[in-house]
Amino acid sequence: MSDSVSAASAPAAAPAAPVVAVDHAKKCFGDIEVLRDISLAVNPGEVVAIIGPSGGGKSTLLRCMTLLETLDAGDLSYGDLAVCRDGSYGDKRVLADARSRFGLVFQNYNLFPHFSVLRNVMDAPICVQKRDRAEVESQARALLAKMGLTGNEEKVPCQLSGGQQQRASIARALAMNPRIVFFDEPTSALDPELTAEVLKVIKGLAAEDMTMVIVTHEMSFAREVADRIVFMDGGVIVEQGPARELIDNPREERTRAFLAQRGA
Amino acid sequence: MAGMLGQGFVVSLQIFVFTLVGSLPLGMLVAFARMSKFKPLALLARAYISIMRGTPLMLQMFAIYFMPYYVFGISLTTDSKWYATIVAFIINYAAYFAEIYRSGIQSIPRGQYEAAEILGYSPAQTFLRIVLPQVVKRILPSVTNEVITLVKDTSLAFSIGVIEMFTVAKQLVASQVSMVPFVIAAVFYWVANFVIDVAAGRIEKRLDYYHD
Repeated sequence: MSDSVSAASAPAAAPAAPVVAVDHAKKCFGDIEVLRDISLAVNPGEVVAIIGPSGGGKSTLLRCMTLLETLDAGDLSYGDLAVCRDGSYGDKRVLADARSRFGLVFQNYNLFPHFSVLRNVMDAPICVQKRDRAEVESQARALLAKMGLTGNEEKVPCQLSGGQQQRASIARALAMNPRIVFFDEPTSALDPELTAEVLKVIKGLAAEDMTMVIVTHEMSFAREVADRIVFMDGGVIVEQGPARELIDNPREERTRAFLAQRGA
Repeated sequence: MAGMLGQGFVVSLQIFVFTLVGSLPLGMLVAFARMSKFKPLALLARAYISIMRGTPLMLQMFAIYFMPYYVFGISLTTDSKWYATIVAFIINYAAYFAEIYRSGIQSIPRGQYEAAEILGYSPAQTFLRIVLPQVVKRILPSVTNEVITLVKDTSLAFSIGVIEMFTVAKQLVASQVSMVPFVIAAVFYWVANFVIDVAAGRIEKRLDYYHD
């Protein structure tokens, strides 16, 4: 961890293992080092927001943690499951096991356009997790209701607004009963009023102690909902700490400059 | 006269059906080969497509018809013409379908694959449940186009001496010194394609419940 972490930011001494942890992670695209020695652990129930300028490595870190990209070096583990040791990954079964532990909400939703909203939520639990259809359906309907999408179950995604689509994709992720949900700039494709409704449901999940990692440009949202904020720039974690502390009282010059520019 | 043409039409229809039944799936295999990460296979598929699309179908029929004799010394029978026609049509159309499939598969956004991967779908499930249904909708107009062309291309079997509708029409024109058989043959082709057009339109409409 970076030496700029204050003692107060150390998570309340929880005996439970972190839900996900990366250790000394490195990732290059060609000659460009996108991640340089990143270490980050997320504890159960914790909400971590990752902020920072574009090209700073936030999304790449998220993509590495969700196995969409592979690390060149370093470790990645989900609880007791070692997914990657020193840049070499476990076999198919390990990766499948890891994937069953997390969900990912994309910036542009990536709903399946040919499925109804309900089927988008139900298909993977039935077809991948082999769960009982009736049980999955009642869970899916409840999740959609929680996302404020009652009455839209039989619609196809193109009939929904962007905010509704994003909420449907959150329901899709939650239906897999993940231990942690990653959000990759979940509101960056949305208008301000649609942004608000998506942020509201994420806040609701935080209130239920859902473990989440959120890459976001919404500073006030991050300050309000996150337990911890991680500021990334140039492929490193420049600074991290309790959300309010970091936003209101950043220690590092780069963090200050970024926040000033963001008007936070 | 219409009866004789009708009998010829049945032969044309057989060429049509056999070609589709063979080339639609074969095209998928060729498309996968063409997109394979194993370079030699991709290159082979590329060469295959290039030759099939770059040379006349009529010539391909002759090549396949005569090949058993020149390469293996097998003597040719009347049946060989029929088999040569079907084989040539299938491998020729498979090349066109392969390129249509490839364009469709590659037009599906990366995010669809990523979403499927995150949700734990296997590659086969991803293809069959997520990708293929979207591909079908996207390529339907191009496939319809090929199918309509195929109806008319069956008349090329005339050149190798298969007694399909066009061959019959030409014989009737000669024996009766009248252009009417050609007109009737034209009507047959047109009606067949009209039916295909209407059917394709219906399928398109059924798939129109979403857009992306």
